[in-house]
Amino acid sequence: MIRTTAAWRISVWTTLAFALGTGLAFAIVYLLVAQTIRERSDAWLSGEADVLAQVSADTPKDNLYSRIVGEVAELATRELPDERNSQGQRLNSVFFLAEHLGENESPLWVGPGEKVAFRNAIQGANLGRGTPQSIRVEGWPTSFRVVERHVDGRGTNIYLGLSNRGDLQVLHNLTRRFLLLWGGTVLLGFLIAYLSARRTLLRVEQITETVARIGSEDLGERLAASVGRDEISRLAQTFNLMLDRIQSSVNQLRSVTDAVAHDLKSPVTSIRGGLESALCNEPNENWRDSVGEAIEGLDRLLNQLNTTLDLAEAEAGALRLDRSPIDLAGVAQQLIDLYQPAMDERHHELTADLEDHVVVSADLSLFRRVVSNLLENELAHLPPKCRIQIRLRSQQGSAALVIEDNGPGFPPEIAGRAFERFVKGQHSPGHGLGLAFVDAVVKAHGGAVQISDRPAGGAVITLTLPAGVLQPA
Amino acid sequence: MRLLIVEDDAAIRGFLERALSEAGYQVDTANDAKSGELKALEGIHDALIIDLGLPDMDGLNLIARCRAQGSSAPVLILSARRSVDERVKGLEQGGDDYLTKPFALAELLARLRNLLRRSSPTPNDAVRLEAADLQLDLVRHEARRGDHLLQLTPQEFSLLEYLCRNAGRVVTRSMILDHVWCMRIDPATNIVDVHIYRLRSKVDALGRTPLIHTIRGVGYMLKRA
Repeated sequence: MIRTTAAWRISVWTTLAFALGTGLAFAIVYLLVAQTIRERSDAWLSGEADVLAQVSADTPKDNLYSRIVGEVAELATRELPDERNSQGQRLNSVFFLAEHLGENESPLWVGPGEKVAFRNAIQGANLGRGTPQSIRVEGWPTSFRVVERHVDGRGTNIYLGLSNRGDLQVLHNLTRRFLLLWGGTVLLGFLIAYLSARRTLLRVEQITETVARIGSEDLGERLAASVGRDEISRLAQTFNLMLDRIQSSVNQLRSVTDAVAHDLKSPVTSIRGGLESALCNEPNENWRDSVGEAIEGLDRLLNQLNTTLDLAEAEAGALRLDRSPIDLAGVAQQLIDLYQPAMDERHHELTADLEDHVVVSADLSLFRRVVSNLLENELAHLPPKCRIQIRLRSQQGSAALVIEDNGPGFPPEIAGRAFERFVKGQHSPGHGLGLAFVDAVVKAHGGAVQISDRPAGGAVITLTLPAGVLQPA
Repeated sequence: MRLLIVEDDAAIRGFLERALSEAGYQVDTANDAKSGELKALEGIHDALIIDLGLPDMDGLNLIARCRAQGSSAPVLILSARRSVDERVKGLEQGGDDYLTKPFALAELLARLRNLLRRSSPTPNDAVRLEAADLQLDLVRHEARRGDHLLQLTPQEFSLLEYLCRNAGRVVTRSMILDHVWCMRIDPATNIVDVHIYRLRSKVDALGRTPLIHTIRGVGYMLKRA
């Protein structure tokens, strides 16, 4: 349905506004023209009436009076072009009437038709002396503009009238032509508005179709890049940007899903195998171990699953940070105490050099996991008998936590990508999520993580956090 | 002690019902919020175990409704979400507790005991703990086996105290981390085990009857023999 399209609605409203505006403008012009015409007619009437009054006053009241005044009046009526309708009636009519008050003379009449109707109309109207007024005369379709003059010393009132028909005809012609022109313009305007709106909206329609196709088929497709900088080009560009992001998220999701599936399969297989052999073998004391092993395997699996999900959440920026001022040295020391025995067991030498009163605004439980992940990373990757040092320093407006070891350093194949999930050294035991989680959490706090190799061998991980509420000692 | 389990997943409901019955509780179950609410309002349960993701109502709403209608039994919330909602955390202050799925049965039992203890006020301010020939003086922070004074670090003492308080019951690694170190983290390495080995080497030194036992796949337990 064409009526439901935006192009239709836009053009209808535009045209309506246009028609109203031009109609209003015409109404003003019409009133101005009508006023001008009336002023001109009135000026003519007043002038002629003055002449006639003068003639009437100057002419001696004898037998010739009627003829002289009558002829002057006749001349006046001839000044205007004469028109007659099909019945021969004079249309553009001027009449002259002279009433002689107080005398039994019949009034002098020059004009079309019977004077009775005009006399009645004049007597019925309350004519103000001097200014022309409109009066209706019975038997005439249009009104007459009539002016009254009193001839001094004669007791005579003269009336000069001019039919409004000519004026009205001018105005009618004006209106008719305007309406024709107006109708044409409005129609043309509507067409132009509709076509241009439709042309613009067709581009939107194209975008809709393409996006619908992209949504259902190929995420790789893009909207045709238009060169312009107008709104619709920007819409297309924005859509393309959004599609880029969606595609990269989907790809990332796919790779994560693949990696998770791959990483989950082997532990599940070993758990299943262990349970199966526990069931099938002759009952012996080892079944407890098998079941326990299976539960431990499941716990590791769940741990990995949770870390993956936490990481996905952190990377999607969906972490809810429950920030509070935390003393980094305190948190680090707590975790060092927790990990110390495990470090001792592997004969690592763990030393801490922690500056006091380094306070940052951070989520305590997330930050604990960050430090714990760093220590786990050391435990998992270092050969025995290494030296690990943790340093905490406050710098200009930020806090730096550095963990440094003299182990083999990051394998060259993962250098620069150690924070990507599932990136891990070939012989690394972990699941490749720990450092990715560290990176995501620190970034969520507005900080940064750097890794590098020490010149003397070993790895350095530096966490920099903006010190929201850094308190000097 | 009588418990009400409101859980829509039949497998979990069945497993909880069985495990809790074996642990000596009387157990009622409901599989949606509506019937759960009706049963909870009977007022005969000492504690409620409520799943957060019920089909007909959010578990938190169910708790709010029960509370509004005068139920005062403490609630243990089961949540499948990993990151625990602020609103759920808020319940901790209200005397209730939460547990995220999957959980170790040992932890569920421990939290349940805790809830029930909180609701029936028996003071927990013992100054001495004893298990077999192990004695802990909580005031002087001294531990003895028989007459022998054990040389423990403060961390080791806290760990032994926690095991001792739960003597005869299994505690999981995450329970230990939560209670002794006050951290809810899931380390992938064996840090807790190392702490236990060290403690065990002091408490169960050569020639003494072992008290700290490893329950494979679950955690640890302090018990005689």
